Amino acid sequence: MFVIFVYDVNQKRVNKVLKTARKYLNWVQNSVLEGEITEGNFKKLKIELKRIIKEDEDSLIFYTFESLKYSSREIIGLKKGGEELIL
Amino acid sequence: MKNTIYIFSDGELKRKDNTIFFENENGKKFIPVENTSEIMIFGEVTLNKRFLEFLTQSEIILHFFNRYEYYVGSYYPREHLNSGYVILKQAEHYNDQNKRLFLAQKFIEGSYKNMIVVLKYYNNRGTDLNKIILSIEELSKKIYDTKSISELMAYEGNIRDIYYLAFDNIIGIEEFNFQRRTKRPPLNYLNTLISFGNSLIYTTVLSEIYKTHLDPRIGYLHSTNFRSFTLNLDIAEIFKPIIVDRIIFSLLGRKKISTDDFENNLEGIILKEKGMKTFVEEFQSKLETVINHPHIGKSATYRTIIRMEAYKIEKHIIGDEEYNPFISQW
Repeated sequence: MFVIFVYDVNQKRVNKVLKTARKYLNWVQNSVLEGEITEGNFKKLKIELKRIIKEDEDSLIFYTFESLKYSSREIIGLKKGGEELIL
Repeated sequence: MKNTIYIFSDGELKRKDNTIFFENENGKKFIPVENTSEIMIFGEVTLNKRFLEFLTQSEIILHFFNRYEYYVGSYYPREHLNSGYVILKQAEHYNDQNKRLFLAQKFIEGSYKNMIVVLKYYNNRGTDLNKIILSIEELSKKIYDTKSISELMAYEGNIRDIYYLAFDNIIGIEEFNFQRRTKRPPLNYLNTLISFGNSLIYTTVLSEIYKTHLDPRIGYLHSTNFRSFTLNLDIAEIFKPIIVDRIIFSLLGRKKISTDDFENNLEGIILKEKGMKTFVEEFQSKLETVINHPHIGKSATYRTIIRMEAYKIEKHIIGDEEYNPFISQW
């Protein structure tokens, strides 16, 4: 499945959340990551993130898609990150 | 499905924040470690032991190619799927002449039948290849009567020679005439493409074998030796026509690769970076193409089908189910 992950957390924990998410997903912009992920890895990611954040202060949102068939992606301005298989 | 990363630029690969990090003068890039299964390295890349340890942990394989695009070798992390039983059985099938010959014949069978599938496709599209198809079919009858691997290899060589005759008709571009097969170094454009495609498929099959219990060092058609992996070469024989050759035909047919994408070098003719990237993109999307698999009655990507081929061999050597090679349906 495909997931778009956005987060708004206390400054103290921004880096930890970013580092964890980067193991599974591609960084797109500040506080936004996306990528193809398996069910298992998605669970792992959520467990790891829950350990880091304070649930009464921070907010994480996951948008998940079974398929990207009906979606499109448009960038205006700079392309800051995203998936690249050929470097 | 985990990703394959191709690195053409020069730079440094390292472990950072528990994931993979690639850095060069053009920028920095984090690669999600949990979503990567292999990294193909074409550029000048620096890395250290700490990084290799990390790859072992994450079960990621590195494949290296030199600047003439030859396969150099792989960093094959310590086996994570160990099975003494399978290795013993695999060796048993190598040492027993009859068992070995059976598997070798099956690989050739898969190879020539897939060649015919490719040829028939172009035959139906108006390129007259009937003669070539008939003579391959004629020759192929003999492979089941062969008594030794060397005899089998000789027939395989003959079939392949005839098969390559069809290339000029299919491609129909004078600059890309086949002439004859040359390797190390390839001496014309078409040979360069064939060699490059073959080395990509060899490494892909190797990566898929890594996900099974099989030991890639024990091959059947290609003799086991002290130097290299051989089982991946065997399995690749089946897939070369339907993956590599088809990519070459379609890239040339759509004019996505032209003579400008090559450079002449002391070491023969090599692809320029742009040409390599075009090829790799096509190769990657081919592997991700979903087709119907007759054996399981479900759809699967070519990459999965390659892995299933390894499973089928595993089943065969432990005596579960006789091995039959994958034959493409179209």
